[in-house]
Amino acid sequence: MKRVLVSLGAALVLGSALFAATAASKTAKSVADDPNNASLTYWYWAESDAPGANAWLKKEVALYEKSHPKVKVSVVIQSTDTLTSAFTTAAQTKSGPDIATQWATLPTLTPAWGGATVPISDYVPKSEWKNWISTSENMWEGKLWAMPQYLIGIPFVWNKPLFKKAGLNPNVAPKTWAQFLADAKKLKAAGITPFGMGNQDGYGGAWFFSLIGKQNLNSITELKQAMIGGQDFANPKFSGFYQALVDLQKKGYLNSDVASISFGQGFELFGQKKVAMSWGTDGNVAQWESQLGAKNMGVAAIPLWGHGKLATSYDVTQSSDAFITKWSKHPRAAAQFLMFLHKPQALKAWYKATGVFPADKRFPSSSVTDPIAKQLLKLDQSPVSVWPENFVPPQVDQNADLAGGELITSGSASPAKVVKLWKTQLSQWKSQHPDEFNSYKKWVTTG
Amino acid sequence: MATSARRPHRRRRALWPYLYALPALGAMAFAFGFPLVQVVRDSFYAGNFSSPIWVGLDNYRGVLSDPAFRQSIFNNMKLLLAVPIMLALGLAIALVLNDRIRGGRHYQSVVFLPYVLPATAIGIAFSFLLQENGVLNRSLRKAHLGGLAYDWLGNSHLAIVSVGGLVIWQQLGFAVVVFTAALLALPPETAEAARIDGAGWWQLQLRVLVPQIRPIIELLTVIQVITVISWVFNYVYVLTAGGPGFSSSVMELYIWRSFSSGADGTAASVAVMLLGMASVLIGLSLWVRRQAVAT
Repeated sequence: MKRVLVSLGAALVLGSALFAATAASKTAKSVADDPNNASLTYWYWAESDAPGANAWLKKEVALYEKSHPKVKVSVVIQSTDTLTSAFTTAAQTKSGPDIATQWATLPTLTPAWGGATVPISDYVPKSEWKNWISTSENMWEGKLWAMPQYLIGIPFVWNKPLFKKAGLNPNVAPKTWAQFLADAKKLKAAGITPFGMGNQDGYGGAWFFSLIGKQNLNSITELKQAMIGGQDFANPKFSGFYQALVDLQKKGYLNSDVASISFGQGFELFGQKKVAMSWGTDGNVAQWESQLGAKNMGVAAIPLWGHGKLATSYDVTQSSDAFITKWSKHPRAAAQFLMFLHKPQALKAWYKATGVFPADKRFPSSSVTDPIAKQLLKLDQSPVSVWPENFVPPQVDQNADLAGGELITSGSASPAKVVKLWKTQLSQWKSQHPDEFNSYKKWVTTG
Repeated sequence: MATSARRPHRRRRALWPYLYALPALGAMAFAFGFPLVQVVRDSFYAGNFSSPIWVGLDNYRGVLSDPAFRQSIFNNMKLLLAVPIMLALGLAIALVLNDRIRGGRHYQSVVFLPYVLPATAIGIAFSFLLQENGVLNRSLRKAHLGGLAYDWLGNSHLAIVSVGGLVIWQQLGFAVVVFTAALLALPPETAEAARIDGAGWWQLQLRVLVPQIRPIIELLTVIQVITVISWVFNYVYVLTAGGPGFSSSVMELYIWRSFSSGADGTAASVAVMLLGMASVLIGLSLWVRRQAVAT
């Protein structure tokens, strides 16, 4: 018996020593952050915003690996509905990618507040990142936390032949909400579905919040205040847009399957000529243009619904971005690779592959020759631009913004009930994430 | 003297089995005990894993006052209705197949097929099938039955019914196979004797065959109840993602949503409640079984 116990003890000591030695050797290896010798994992998402993005990244990775033979970049494509949750899980366990993608502002800053990411401005010189556009979306405590890759403008689109069929001027877009409703009425009378979107996953409603809901606000600070209880979300200034959505549906101006098709399927309706009007990203527009032909569609700013100062702002955001994780053993290698994606060659290739403008001042506007793309670029360069959804805490966005829109389009809740949902979720966010709430509050007051 | 000298040796021998069992016990404690203790502990904290904040019972209070949670638990209860439907259908099909009808094996394979398909693939296929303008509704409209063409996924009252239908459709095959196997294992003499005594088809099925497979029916009931309470996440996630709003959410999805938004304490508190519910159900079913055996 004694001999057995001694043998067991010796085995345990030997095993521990071996384990410690292996771990030590691994640590020693990980200390060296050679930008030209690393294996990087990149959790990537952009295809939904910019069809062609995945193929572009694959080519860029191949080019980078060719010029940096000791660097290996493994791209893991992320899905839209798990983009936030997958990274949240990774952040909890402090393991996963070296580079990750998130939507700009809160989805990016929240993990930064939780210590899951490092400021990209610590690894990329200012001489480089000063050329990047929309960096203000991801600034916190004077540091930049993520790299923008592209700009996403959200224009209003209409199908000219269908407008003509309904007796409308095919070359004139509705500029005000009243004109939009009048056009929708005529289109419906002609047997054409006026406006198309999908909202089974809630993103259609979230867009309505960002595109229409913001129009009664004078600044995004008002929305931030509503998130921390400084202003009441029940005020129609913040939540009045839900009634506009209800009215659209009650009048039959939305596709009948809005509640049962996904956001992506909703985009397809315009390209399939099943609806006369819609909205989409610059990337969606490029795809629709190839489906319908430039002469058969028009692009314009979203019709004016509200009366706040943000009503005339355009909706441009970097949408998604790339950042380096805290646990990455190769932050310098990751930063070097991300900078490569902003080289002139990569920017041109991006635009060629997606039709979406890169978020870089060095991208020559002369590269844009297509007439519709020129219009989009002009819209994207509007002086004031904001995407309000970026300022809603991710938990509230998921459980109130997305869920609330779903309840409206499915006809299962009134705007008042949805406002109640927002208030419940804001209160839950405060109690379930006291740390995040305090960081947000600090961010609202100090920036 | 000789007896007392053997005593310590016997005691040592008596300890050996425990020593052999120790690694397995340790593995079990690590695999089951540790996560269980950790989940219960987390349910008393807010924030995330890296910076937990002690909140006592606040997570439980918050969850119980959350309408989305109440809706989720109510939906789990609604899905329980799928169990008797599934079992009744499964039993009926198994009894018919047991009659050695022509092509019985072929029918059995057809019924079992959905069970071997991945739930995600089924969910995606059904989401196209059940949309407002999906295959089912288009077919109904073509057949002049447009009045039956509802928005199966986009209607907040019907979404959970659609999930229930999908669960029945997929799990039915398993029930049929289990019941068929149980019926085939029965001694043929009893049925023969009943036939000789003049029992009709219904009498034979309900008075002779079904009572003999009662333990299997009870076992399957327990399995399916546990499935419906704590194994329906993939159906709900792929088909409706819990929507519209939270109208088709279930407890598992609520846990996932909480965890994915970083509300780990909330997720843990619901997990503890779910575990409690499942344990009560299992205990109840064991008690029912014991009672049945006793009588």
